[in-house]
Amino acid sequence: MDNFSEELARPVTKDGQVKMSILSGTGMHFPWLQSYVETVVIGGKKKKDFSQTTSACLSFIQEALLKHQWRRAAEYMHSYFQALETTDGHQRQTVPELIWKLGSEILFYHPKSNVETFTTFADRMKNIGVMNYLKISLQHALYLLHHGMLEDADRNLREAETWRYGEKSSSQEILINLVQAYKGLLQYYTWSKKKKELSKLDKDDYVYGTTTRSMINRSWKTSMNLSALIKIPGVWDPFVKSYVEMLEFYGDQDAAQEVLTNYAYDEKFPSNPNAHIYLYNFLKRKKAPRTKLLSVLKILYQIVPSHKLMLEFHTLLRKSEKEEHHKLGLEVLFGVLDFAGCTKNITAWKYLAKYLKQTLMGNHLVWVQEQWNSRKNWWPSFHFSYFWAKSDWKEDMALACEKAFVAGILLGKGCRYFRYISKQDHQVIRKKIKQMKKSVKRYSIVNPRL
Amino acid sequence: MDFPSSLRPTLFRTGPLGLSDVPDLSFMCSWRDALTLPESQPQISENGAPFLAKDVVWEPVTPGPLPLLRPAPDPWDPGLTAQDLLFRGGYQYRKRPRVVLDVTEQLSRFLWDHGDIAFAPLGRLMLENFKLEGAPSRSKKKTVISVKRLFQNLGGHQPWGCPWAYITHRQRRFSILGGAILGKSVASILAELLREELAVRWERLLLDETYTGGALAWVPGRTPQVGQLVYPGGGTLDTLCFQEVNLNPDSNLDVPGCPGRIHLRGPVRQVVTCTVQGEAVLAVRSDYHCAVWKVSKQGQPALLQVLQVEKGATGISLSPHLPGELAVCSQSGAVCLWTPEGGLQQIYRDPETLVFRDPSPWRWADFTAHPRVLTVGDHTGVKMVDTQGPPGCGLLLFRAGAEASCQKGERILLTQYLGQSSPDSLPSTLHLICTQFSLYLVDERLPLVPMLKWNHGLPSPPLLARLLPPPRPGCPQPLILAGQGGQLQLLPISGEGPGGEASAPRLAGPPQSLPSRRDSLSAFPLLEPKSQWQLEERLKAPTIGLATAIPPPASTPGLVLFQLSAAGDIFYQYLRLQEDSTGDAGPPGDAGPECPTPTASWTPQDTVCCSQWLKILLEVPPDPPTWAVPTFFHQQQLSRMELQKDGGKLLEALREAMAKGRLLQQRDLGPLPTAEPPPTPESSPDELSERLEEAWEGRGAAWWERHHGRTSEPGKQPKRPKRRTQLSSTFSSLSGPLDSLDATSPPLSPDSTCAKARPQLSATPPSQELTPDLWAQGIPSQQEQTLQDNHVAKLPLQRDTPEHAATTSSQASSIRATSSWLHRPVPSGSQPHRKKPRMGF
Repeated sequence: MDNFSEELARPVTKDGQVKMSILSGTGMHFPWLQSYVETVVIGGKKKKDFSQTTSACLSFIQEALLKHQWRRAAEYMHSYFQALETTDGHQRQTVPELIWKLGSEILFYHPKSNVETFTTFADRMKNIGVMNYLKISLQHALYLLHHGMLEDADRNLREAETWRYGEKSSSQEILINLVQAYKGLLQYYTWSKKKKELSKLDKDDYVYGTTTRSMINRSWKTSMNLSALIKIPGVWDPFVKSYVEMLEFYGDQDAAQEVLTNYAYDEKFPSNPNAHIYLYNFLKRKKAPRTKLLSVLKILYQIVPSHKLMLEFHTLLRKSEKEEHHKLGLEVLFGVLDFAGCTKNITAWKYLAKYLKQTLMGNHLVWVQEQWNSRKNWWPSFHFSYFWAKSDWKEDMALACEKAFVAGILLGKGCRYFRYISKQDHQVIRKKIKQMKKSVKRYSIVNPRL
Repeated sequence: MDFPSSLRPTLFRTGPLGLSDVPDLSFMCSWRDALTLPESQPQISENGAPFLAKDVVWEPVTPGPLPLLRPAPDPWDPGLTAQDLLFRGGYQYRKRPRVVLDVTEQLSRFLWDHGDIAFAPLGRLMLENFKLEGAPSRSKKKTVISVKRLFQNLGGHQPWGCPWAYITHRQRRFSILGGAILGKSVASILAELLREELAVRWERLLLDETYTGGALAWVPGRTPQVGQLVYPGGGTLDTLCFQEVNLNPDSNLDVPGCPGRIHLRGPVRQVVTCTVQGEAVLAVRSDYHCAVWKVSKQGQPALLQVLQVEKGATGISLSPHLPGELAVCSQSGAVCLWTPEGGLQQIYRDPETLVFRDPSPWRWADFTAHPRVLTVGDHTGVKMVDTQGPPGCGLLLFRAGAEASCQKGERILLTQYLGQSSPDSLPSTLHLICTQFSLYLVDERLPLVPMLKWNHGLPSPPLLARLLPPPRPGCPQPLILAGQGGQLQLLPISGEGPGGEASAPRLAGPPQSLPSRRDSLSAFPLLEPKSQWQLEERLKAPTIGLATAIPPPASTPGLVLFQLSAAGDIFYQYLRLQEDSTGDAGPPGDAGPECPTPTASWTPQDTVCCSQWLKILLEVPPDPPTWAVPTFFHQQQLSRMELQKDGGKLLEALREAMAKGRLLQQRDLGPLPTAEPPPTPESSPDELSERLEEAWEGRGAAWWERHHGRTSEPGKQPKRPKRRTQLSSTFSSLSGPLDSLDATSPPLSPDSTCAKARPQLSATPPSQELTPDLWAQGIPSQQEQTLQDNHVAKLPLQRDTPEHAATTSSQASSIRATSSWLHRPVPSGSQPHRKKPRMGF
């Protein structure tokens, strides 16, 4: 019977916390198992009255929160504080966390709550249960930041930064890094405000000199704060962005590029498209050689072939002298239009129409066929159906014309999309359609001119 | 498709689930998402009020959902509960209760209730060791025992659990003979199977994945006012129904006419619909079949193709890009792209799970923003697979592990592509992933790192979700999540930053719970406890389908939510966007009034609707008992069936009354036995018939007193010879050990005597004085019985008496008409029948 005797598991975490969920024979936890078990008397210690009332109270709070009854939730919360007096070791760990989570939520939405109430509550909660100090400080600072109180947030973070408890664990270290990074971000805000003021000042002014000095001083501190965190794998877009901006301002281009390259290419980091975009934009600003730009965009193309920068990539490839780049340029355009969100991107269609013609004129029919072979069984119904012909014509005539041209090239003039559009009689684009018909006749890949 | 220019800071860790030293940076507060970083615009201090999500509230028009259609005519049985499966009792002083499946009790119950199934095959094997004839065994072989004697010994008492039960030497011999086989093989074979079955049932009780995705769909019609609900109907959910529904802006619905029906061969598990390029396509998944219909503009379905899935289908999805394209996955781990024109194309096959080993065969597949890339998912992860690439490779979109800070024991229960709903607000690259604890939104352009994580806290598995278009431009999109237990949650999700540029998807406000079917209980009139219980059970039935429809534009945007329950009922709920919430964008600190002020209440129409529904519901006959108390064959063997027949009717009435929870009344028992003319004495009323007559009237004890006083002789001695003669002369005047029964039964009211005395009769030990010729006489009636029971019991008995050839044909029809032998019509007019009722006396 041991095979499927389901047991209540007690996954003990490093902190000695015991989680209240139940494991089945398959290793899966079922949060609802507890309620099933409670319907059957299967032995075990009876719940004490105290834990019964507190758990009932907790469910009332959760219910009120989900119904947006902030006032009612606050009343129950008042009673729930008694749960802090629990003697159960496991509960003693989880209850402060729960109270902070629910309490902050109530105070965030309660119509009568204000920053002072929130601050008082946060300060109290920080010191109940040592494990939550850093987390609560961080969230408190975010709250203050959100309410525009930058100084208070900064003070809060500075206090948290110096806090230590026992031996420094890795999770504590990460949190401290995060606290420092947010502090750095705050310093960046003031710095960028100063920078703005500076741009308004006259260079010979006395104030200018002092301001620059203080700015340099600040930025040095900030970079110290930011650099530690962004070495840890993660998504740190706002921090990287501000750090690079400051480094750039003080002319430390190499350091900035190193930070960005590391952020984009370190294998331990997730493949964040923004990392590549930041690097590309940086290199573009620095007027880096085209090959360098192309290599960055090539990787972005591997990750997000639907990104709007791909059109820029295409233009760069077209300008290149290498033939393989020209071929890739066609592939990129087809790739963009594969995606559901890009089907109405008129620029992409315009580029494709133009480039298809150019490619075919350059006698590269094989390139087109190579791209088309993997798409010919689904592009016709995805892009060139009768439904789209009608709706595109109604919504955007220019788009319909570009698409019709591409359809004509790829599918021949018998294609429904092309036929529908070419039959339309509209004064403005009559000439365009005529021209289109002519080119389709000449270049369509369906009847190669041999 | 813009990628958000700056993502929220997230720590990235690789590793297994429940890695403890990773601080969970998604703090699980709904307000955390509202805290957008001010980016590089530090004007917040000047600006004062920073950008904040509007507190979007969808206000339910009624306090609970209302029934849309008549209740399904079939009774609803909630099935097994934890109480049926778990072992009760156990160590009192354990800190935590231990959950153990109760195989022992189930096995013993099974042996009790279905002994015929458990032991009959063995009995047939041992047939040569039994002697069925009544004559005492003269053979010297000790391995053959007389069944008659054995049953006679077994008859009176129930040795089960009774240590004082008297065991005769025959029984001992029987147990020696059969013990080895009976004890071991039944327990070992049966227990193994039972254990397996119980484990399966228990797993299914904890998590039933069959209805993942939901079996209810809304097919929009020509105008926004009209649409069709497609759902399974019938007791076994094997009829696909198409019900037209008219939506009115003033929060009520019209249901014109009866639904169209398509009868299928299996139960419907999932119904999916999608309108692509103006073409509505409908896909249905059953256990072993999938089918696609095209729905014309007039709402007429036309079948396109049916697919048989041998290993069992677990999921079906319709492409939002290409009309009529589907993804089907089966328990074998194969995922196929299916087009009615092009047939099947297997794009992935792996019997193993993606990330770590998990025994569940559940698989899921859906589409992505690229029409040729599919997601393939199981409990451990979700992978993106290119249908045109080399088989087997792909990129993991989601991993149940430290990347998403998953808890220990967390498993994926639902994955859904959210791109199809609308191009306005959220990008078309988002995927919803639900586990038993949390909800994740993952962008396929940044795999493994969830863009949003929210601890939903639902007390049942979230197997249904719908994303709706924004009610107004700029408003967050409502995402509705439904748990199998009927709980509903609405999450406002926004993908736009303050300036209207793309930002990472976030919760635009606190999530909201919507009324479940149980909240509608207050709309129903008060009932007596039995009916109330029936109604509550019905409202508690699991939710197996969720559909949404948007009513034609009115002054305030609305939303209709349809729910399908496992009992086959459809309920609907109107929701309205709360008016003042959209206009006011200030911080919630000084925002408007206390939110829950406008509480919805039932209108008289609602309560009328509910009570009408209830009236039809209560007309539905309650579920017939799923099992009947088994019949013990020894009673048949001893030709006491006629008695049982009469008693059986009574028993049946009693059982029925118990099942319905009402009093057993006289009319349930048919005409009172006393109403029948007592068997007329043929010539002179002898002592026995006189006594019986008195006993019928309930004056048996008085008669005994009288009689006892009259004949002062000792009771038993002089009777014996008399009885002998009577036995040989007349069948009816059989006397037995019943003397004591009459003496002990207190004079009760007539019907209570019947109710109590009759069942007892069948258990009294039969007379041992049956002569061989009487046994032979009894055979015809016994065989009549056997004939009727043949399809139930299949007793090996010879039937070559010429006289019952006629009865065979006459009763053949009754066999087919009645399935339960308890409802067997009583053959009237046969000779021994009139006498039999008194046999036991």
